[in-house]
Order: sequence, then structure tokens, then C-alpha cells
Amino acid sequence: MLTFLRILTALALIGIVVLLALIFVPVRLTQPTEQLAADWQPDPGHGEQVFHASDCVACHTAPGGMELAGGRGIESPLGTIWSTNITPDPETGIGGMTMDEFRAVMLDGIGRDGRHLYPAMPYENYRLMTERDLRALYAYLMNEVEPVRHEVEPTSLTFPFNMRFGLRAWNWLALSHDAGFTPQGRSEVMDRGQYLVEGPGHCAACHSPRNIFMAQDGVQASDANFLTGGVVDGWNAPSLRGEGAAPQRWPVGELAAYLATGRNAFSTANGEMGLVVAHSMQHLPDGDIFAIAAFLKGMDGAPVEEETAFAPPGPIAIEKPQADQAGEATAAMLTEAEPGMPLGARLYLDNCVACHFASGRGADGIFPKLQGNTLVLGSETGPLLSVILYGANVPGTEKRPMELVMQGYADRLSDEEVAELATFLRQAWGNDAPPVTPAEAAAERENPRATHH
Amino acid sequence: MSDLPGYPNRRGFLKTSAASVALAGIAARAEAQADTVPPLDEYWPEYLDAAEWAFVMAACARLIPSEGDGPGAIEARVPVFIDRQLADYYGRADIWYMEGPHDPTAPPEFGWQTPLTPAELYRQAIPAFNAWCERTHGAAFPDLDPQAQDEALTALDEGETDLAPELSPFFTTLLNNTKEGYFADPIHGGNHGMQAWVYIGFPGARAAYREWAGRHNVQYPLGPVSISGERA
Repeated sequence: MLTFLRILTALALIGIVVLLALIFVPVRLTQPTEQLAADWQPDPGHGEQVFHASDCVACHTAPGGMELAGGRGIESPLGTIWSTNITPDPETGIGGMTMDEFRAVMLDGIGRDGRHLYPAMPYENYRLMTERDLRALYAYLMNEVEPVRHEVEPTSLTFPFNMRFGLRAWNWLALSHDAGFTPQGRSEVMDRGQYLVEGPGHCAACHSPRNIFMAQDGVQASDANFLTGGVVDGWNAPSLRGEGAAPQRWPVGELAAYLATGRNAFSTANGEMGLVVAHSMQHLPDGDIFAIAAFLKGMDGAPVEEETAFAPPGPIAIEKPQADQAGEATAAMLTEAEPGMPLGARLYLDNCVACHFASGRGADGIFPKLQGNTLVLGSETGPLLSVILYGANVPGTEKRPMELVMQGYADRLSDEEVAELATFLRQAWGNDAPPVTPAEAAAERENPRATHH
Repeated sequence: MSDLPGYPNRRGFLKTSAASVALAGIAARAEAQADTVPPLDEYWPEYLDAAEWAFVMAACARLIPSEGDGPGAIEARVPVFIDRQLADYYGRADIWYMEGPHDPTAPPEFGWQTPLTPAELYRQAIPAFNAWCERTHGAAFPDLDPQAQDEALTALDEGETDLAPELSPFFTTLLNNTKEGYFADPIHGGNHGMQAWVYIGFPGARAAYREWAGRHNVQYPLGPVSISGERA
């Protein structure tokens, strides 16, 4: 008994020491990964490119708000985290922030006041950015962005998550990787792609799974679970690796088209990925887009044919895609239009077939294929139900300005019908995913997601 | 043995019954999803008053009769369609050019030739025509037997009643509205349960028959779908 008490006391003491250390031992900030001359200046346009690649707009602009003035609520399991104003306004923004303070934010997740940032800020990924890019981005935000005076609601999570010193312990787990970029060295183009994907692009923030501490499980290309798929706010961020993954099935050119325009011969970018295309990817130079595509294609070791340019715009004739072997049986059933078909198939004929066709293969660059579609087959069924109920909207981009709009069927289909239709889609043309229940459809109908455009 | 006038003969009765049985099954499926609607005699018109409603019911029943092949205007709830249209922008001629001059003798390609809106046309023509029926046949139109109703409608069609010139488009308008209510999408109140579409084999608002474009002389087997998603 006495031994037991001793152990308990010892543990308590250790706990208190760790807690005090967490609170009082000064944090050591990561030093620059490259020593640049004090008067080093980025090339014109460099900062803006890094800014676009880093997709700062996605979180730091509120819906309908001024650009970069913050106030967007980021839902987390712990409560709402409010993004900050990163315009150079001296009182409500980041005006007056020094380069060293900026680096601490980007590499260590530590704010100007020494407080730890919540890892909604992807410093796990920005940690891999080069000193040159950080300097260029800093210069862009300070000198080329208009200051906006906008006080943002402070983030206040519930106890114990409002104890920010706890994030320090979290960082010991999550920031085990060194700052700075380590290229794999397969080719100059693929290294450039790797850098953009790992660092500024912070693709792993969504496309890598999370470990039990909710840290990214796979931050760098050398990590086993890097980009093997995650779940964000009810959306599947599909795996980008492995046999069935889109980048492994699509040619590099199609992958590049998807990133730059939100559409290609296979699919369209919906939900969160649509926003990534609209805010970030469409603004990257073609070379960077093709570099990202080449890196993703080659991640698993596949040979990569590097491409460098998009096809010139012009009239194209879209072939009617025929059903392939896996899709033949479904296509034949839909084509024969016999009244005895299952309800889900009948609903597809009544509502969907005009655009997605009996083959389920849609039309290049306009109507996404439903066969093998990651959104259709996702473990999260909400996005598919949301598209059926409330439609979809693929944003226009500079290269492909036309918005792609699908109307919703909330008024036309009951929850039972939505579930039947979704289940049909998940099991037609060789698709193989579990059925969807009317209760799931009802839940999605009642709580439409903000990103159902 | 001759059949009584206005009553279905034996052959017609059998044909109608068979069709009704066939349609009953289809209509029941469609109705299971559609909002349940009140029977016509409990319908509360939006525009028409009681006498007008009685006239529209009686006239529709003769223009597309219930006896014979296929559903009649009453089964398809055409009077509901007409009432709702008259209460809406069609009835008010909201989107028509309504300034004069109006020339009742102008050929049809010159368009609407009365200063009255469709709603006003029904409101003025129905009592005038009922009065003519009383003078000529001894009762208002709804109270006549079907044969006399047919004669009265024929006279109306041929301009042989004493209606004022600005009421001259009434029969054409009534007949057109009846056909429209019979074939329009059920969302407008008529073509109840898509019965008219089922009858003529029209597949409704599916609008996707790409796979069938090259198939000639093959009957398309699937029943219709309506704008609101009813199936039959």
C-alpha cells in the first residue's frame, strides 16, 4: 500500500513538473533554414505566387468578407476556431509583425504574443517551406496587401482545449520533422511538385489521415501514410495513392486539368476541392501545376511522362462514352427501360440519365463520371447526398470560365427515394460501396453543408 | 335494344371498365407519392364561383367525356387546372398585349381579339351562355341532359348563340384550356396521376431518350414521370 502511494505521489510530481515545464520553459523557435542577406529581395511576383500556392485565402477570408481580413469560422471537434486578420493593419491585422515573428507562426505555430496557434493553421506543412518563399510571402503580405481594419472574434474553445500550453505537448508529437524541404531527387520537375504538395500547398492537411492525437499521419513524401486519404468536415479527401486513386488512374495532363480548371475527362472538383481550385490552384503558373501532377503521378513509383502545357482552347467534339465491361449490365438495364427495374434505377432514369447517361460515364469536362467516382463511393455519404439534394457548383476558372451547375432534387425526391438513388449509384456500373439509409438522407436534408455549392 | 341517350352502351361500358381497372393500379402508385387531393366535389375553387364551377365541370365532361377510350376531363381534374389558371397570370392576361383595337372578325393569326382577359371572358360568357341555354333548351347548361349539352356546345362553337362579339372567343378558349389541362404536367392541377400521358404513351418530363434515338418501331416501355417526380 505504501509502495502504491509512493508511486502515485511520484507520478503526480512528475505530472506537475511536466505541466510547469510546458507553461514556463521558454519555447525555442526554429531558425531560418537558409541564411539570406539582410537586404535579400524576392523577384517581382514571387511573393504572390507563394501566396496563391499556400491558399491563405481559403481560411483567412470570411464568406462575403474582405479578402484576408479573417473571421472565417473553422469547425473543429473542439469548437469553432476563428481565422485571423492577416492584412497588414497594425491594430487588427499583422501590421508591424517582424520576419522572425512571421517565421515562428509559419514554422512553429507560435503567434506574436508567444501563444500557440491551433493547428487549424497548417504549420505542420508550412514548416517545410523554404526561407526564400517565407521571405517572399512575408514581403507580399506586408507590402502588397491592402490593410483592412477588422476585429475578429477571438477563438474560445471549451476547457481543456482553451489551455494553449497543451498545444506545446501536441507540437512535440506533431512537429517531429525538421523544418525545410528534402527533395526526393527523381527529377527537377517532380521535386518542384513535391515541394508544392508538401509545403505551401499543404495537401496533407486534408489528404493524409490523422493519428490518434489528430496530427497529420504523413506530412512528407517519405512517410508511409502520406496522402493516403482523410476525412475533413464530413468530406472524404480521397487517397491520392494506390491502385484505385485518381492520380494513379488519370494521365498527368488530365490531373493537371483537374487542378487548374476543376474539371477533366473524369470528374469535377466539388466541395472543399472546388474551393482549392478556385482560390489557389487556378492561379498557379502552368509549370507548377504540371509539376504537382507529375509528382502525384509518380508518388508510388510509377513512370511519369512529364507534360508541360495545356491543350490550346478551341472547339472540341465530345464523344459519347460507351459503357465499359464493368458498366455493361447496368447500362443495358437502363437502356432497355423495363418498368420492373429497381426503384433506384428508375429514379436514375427519371432524374440523372440526361446528363450522366446510361453508361454512367458523363461527358468529358462537363458531367463527371459516376463510375468509380470517389465522391459517389466515399465512406462519407454526406457529400453524395448533398449533391443529390442540393446540387453542385463547380467554379469557373480563368482557363475554363464556365461554371458547371447541377440543380438539386430536394423538392422532387423523398428521403427514401434519395437513399434508393444513392444506393443505386454506389452499386451500379461495377461500383461497390455500402447502401445509404433514408435516415442519412434526412440528416443531410436537415443540415445542408455550407459547401454544397 | 337501344341504349338510353347519354348512357354508355354495353360495349363501351366494358371497355371503360377495363381501362379504369388498368388505370386504377397506375393512379394508385402515383398518388401514393403525390399530395392527396380532395375529390372534385369538395374542391374549393380559387377563381370560379359556384355557378361558374358547375358550368366548367359540365362543359369539360362533354368536351373530353369519361365514357369511351381513356380517362375523361373529369378523371384528369381538368376543371381544377382551368380554375387555377384563371386565378393566375394567364387569367389576368398579365403577359399579353391587351391594348386595342380588337376586331372579333379578324382571322386567328391576329391573336386575342377581345378586350376581356381570359378570367373576364369566363365570368361574362358563362352567365350569358347559361341564359341562352335556358331560352333555347329550357335549363342552364349544367342541368341539361348530355345530348342537349352537346347541341348547345355545338351551337356555341359555330357562333349560333347570341353572345356579344367580345365573348366570341369563349368556345375556342374553353376547348383549348380543356386540352391543356388534360395534357399539361400534373403540377398545374390537371392530368391527375398523369392519366392522359399514360393513355397516349407519352413518357413525361424524363427528357432523355438518347439510347432510343435509333430504335424505330419499338414501343418505349417505361411509364411517365412528372415535374414533381411522380411516377406511373
